[in-house]
Amino acid sequence: MTAFILRRLAQTIVVILLLSFFCYLLMTLMPGDPVDEMIMANPEITAADIDRLRALHGLDQPVYARYWNWASTILAGDLGYSRTYRVPVTEILGPRLLNTFILAGAALLLALVVAIPLGVWAALRRNTMADYLINLVAFAGISVPSFWIAIVLILVFAVQIPIFPAGGTGSIALDMTPWEALRDRLWYLVLPVLSLSFLSIGTYVRYTRAAMLEAMSSDYIRTARAKGLSAPRIYLMHGFRNALIPLITITALSFSTLFSGAIITETVFAYRGVGQLVFQSIQGNDFNVAMVAFMISVSMVLLMNLVADLLYGVADPRITYQ
Amino acid sequence: MSGEAARRRQLQAQPMWRILLEQFLEHRMAVAGLGVILLFLGVALFAPAISALTGLDPNRQNIFNRYQPPGSHLDLSTRERELRVQHFMQTAERQALVTHLMGLDLLGFAVAEEDLLHELVTQYTPLELTGRLATLAPVAPGELQGDLAAFARLVAGLRSFHLLGTDELGRDVLIRLVYGTRVSVGVGLMVALVAGLIGLLVGSLAGYYGGRIDAVLMRFTDALLSLPILVVLIVVSAIDLGKLLGDTPFSFIVESRHESIIKMVLILCLFSWMQAARLVRGSILSIKEQEFVLAARVLGARDRSVIGAHIIPNVIAPLLVAVTLGIGNAILFEAALSFLGLGIQPPVPSWGNMLNNAQEMVQHAPTLAILPGLLILFTVISFNYVGDGLRDAIDPRSIRR
Repeated sequence: MTAFILRRLAQTIVVILLLSFFCYLLMTLMPGDPVDEMIMANPEITAADIDRLRALHGLDQPVYARYWNWASTILAGDLGYSRTYRVPVTEILGPRLLNTFILAGAALLLALVVAIPLGVWAALRRNTMADYLINLVAFAGISVPSFWIAIVLILVFAVQIPIFPAGGTGSIALDMTPWEALRDRLWYLVLPVLSLSFLSIGTYVRYTRAAMLEAMSSDYIRTARAKGLSAPRIYLMHGFRNALIPLITITALSFSTLFSGAIITETVFAYRGVGQLVFQSIQGNDFNVAMVAFMISVSMVLLMNLVADLLYGVADPRITYQ
Repeated sequence: MSGEAARRRQLQAQPMWRILLEQFLEHRMAVAGLGVILLFLGVALFAPAISALTGLDPNRQNIFNRYQPPGSHLDLSTRERELRVQHFMQTAERQALVTHLMGLDLLGFAVAEEDLLHELVTQYTPLELTGRLATLAPVAPGELQGDLAAFARLVAGLRSFHLLGTDELGRDVLIRLVYGTRVSVGVGLMVALVAGLIGLLVGSLAGYYGGRIDAVLMRFTDALLSLPILVVLIVVSAIDLGKLLGDTPFSFIVESRHESIIKMVLILCLFSWMQAARLVRGSILSIKEQEFVLAARVLGARDRSVIGAHIIPNVIAPLLVAVTLGIGNAILFEAALSFLGLGIQPPVPSWGNMLNNAQEMVQHAPTLAILPGLLILFTVISFNYVGDGLRDAIDPRSIRR
């Protein structure tokens, strides 16, 4: 078990390292670099100044050398400085990460609470009207563009019926009691969470239904029926207990989808999370922030994948790790 | 009697495609989805015809008529009107008509002869001018009737009907959606097909040869699969293709009018082949242990012919499912990136970039924000249902005879 974790961890680290180089390479291929911006800001700049600035920022060196410099400062604990916000990257990143975790966590929770009962119900009422309807909802969930559902939610619940704010993370007010502040945060969370959970609901309903159907057609269900157990006991203790195994993996793996989805949701709702930060810093040529935010997003997802693998073994004792 | 016939038909051997077709037709949503897809494909193929038939152009702007509601009749922009008059004057000898109209002093101020028609269509609205011309026609000399009627037809054509209203530049929304279908569905199809081929290649190499090749290829596939794909796509699509391809033989891509479309297809292909590869590898692992492959090998078949003649035909069906589902995904990714401004660049319309601007004007022009999204939803859900139907159809457990 320990050996397995260590090996997977080592693999994950290799992937992260390769990816960071790949990403660094891509960043150099994006339009504009810091010196380009200084040139645009100062029309009287001379060619000698430009060369000097390029040398100062290390832009005259080949990509691998620049990557090596960047990676060694990062590993030394210095995440760099944001050109847009004029503060160290660490200062922006902390609260942003927390915001994204709150958003993704709430969406995950909502999706599970809605989707699992629907999926189980659809499986138990297979080929009835209810099953078809739930299936349609699930298909709509996986087929709808998340940014569009976000726009529609804004249109309905912020413009037509102004209940919720159209965007933002919280009100700007100083004199709020902790209770009011919490309520304010939740108010701003409702629409983003709804739009982010839509896709996951579709996915989970389909998986739950499939897993439950698979479980309910097994021999041990027939045995349980033959023993004369009550229907709820069969469904919950025998059917659902076994359907849960694939569900746990899917849930942990879907963290990747949630992080992906969050980048869109955060952008549409102007929600101050990591996803929005990645997008804005790429747009704004804020290289240090873009690299670090991207690497952290990816590392989170890869670590969650590792957790998914481990949870699989906990849920299903037949699986052994070699 | 008919029951007897049906039973007899069932007892006869049926070709495989017939069984699959019957299975597929039983999935009602899949059949409906196929219908929707064929409809959209038709729209995409005949977009220029639709444009010619309705007289609408996806790039014709009308800056004084932005954000008009659905069902509006609008006057064309003055520039467009003058262009049409110019064309009218150049295509035939109009001197007699111009001299006649000069004598009537319709404008109330002096104007050079060659400017008269231009002034008429810009000083009057097309509706007013049509009214004036109608009163003039009965009293005009007989030899001018033909010219006058032609001019009246031209003036009547200076108005356009916008079933779905106009967008932020006064362009017709309907025709942009039609051309957007072309771009969005086209990109989806192309990406899914190429990704399917890459998946087939990688998956068959890994599955057939096994061992180290398998380990390396599958590690790579898994690593790509585990990434938050949209975040990666955003980083990748922000690159400047000019910096990458500037001095290579591929620089023609950068100079092409469709650079953003080509770039989108390339990038989406790079990150969409993994599911297909896993699927193909899985199928091959189970197929290659079967007797008919062993028999072929014993008979001295080379790797190439074993893969080509025995293995690929058996993985086509699951691959088809993966490709169908992939089209829906590719359309969604293209839409998301274009919505963020990183995908298909205007003025080329795509469903995603039409939503880009619509978000800010959601209060004034909600249809602009709703329609492209609905089309995306309908298309993607159709592809997903068709994929589901295909999967059910080829699943041997679900075949009932």
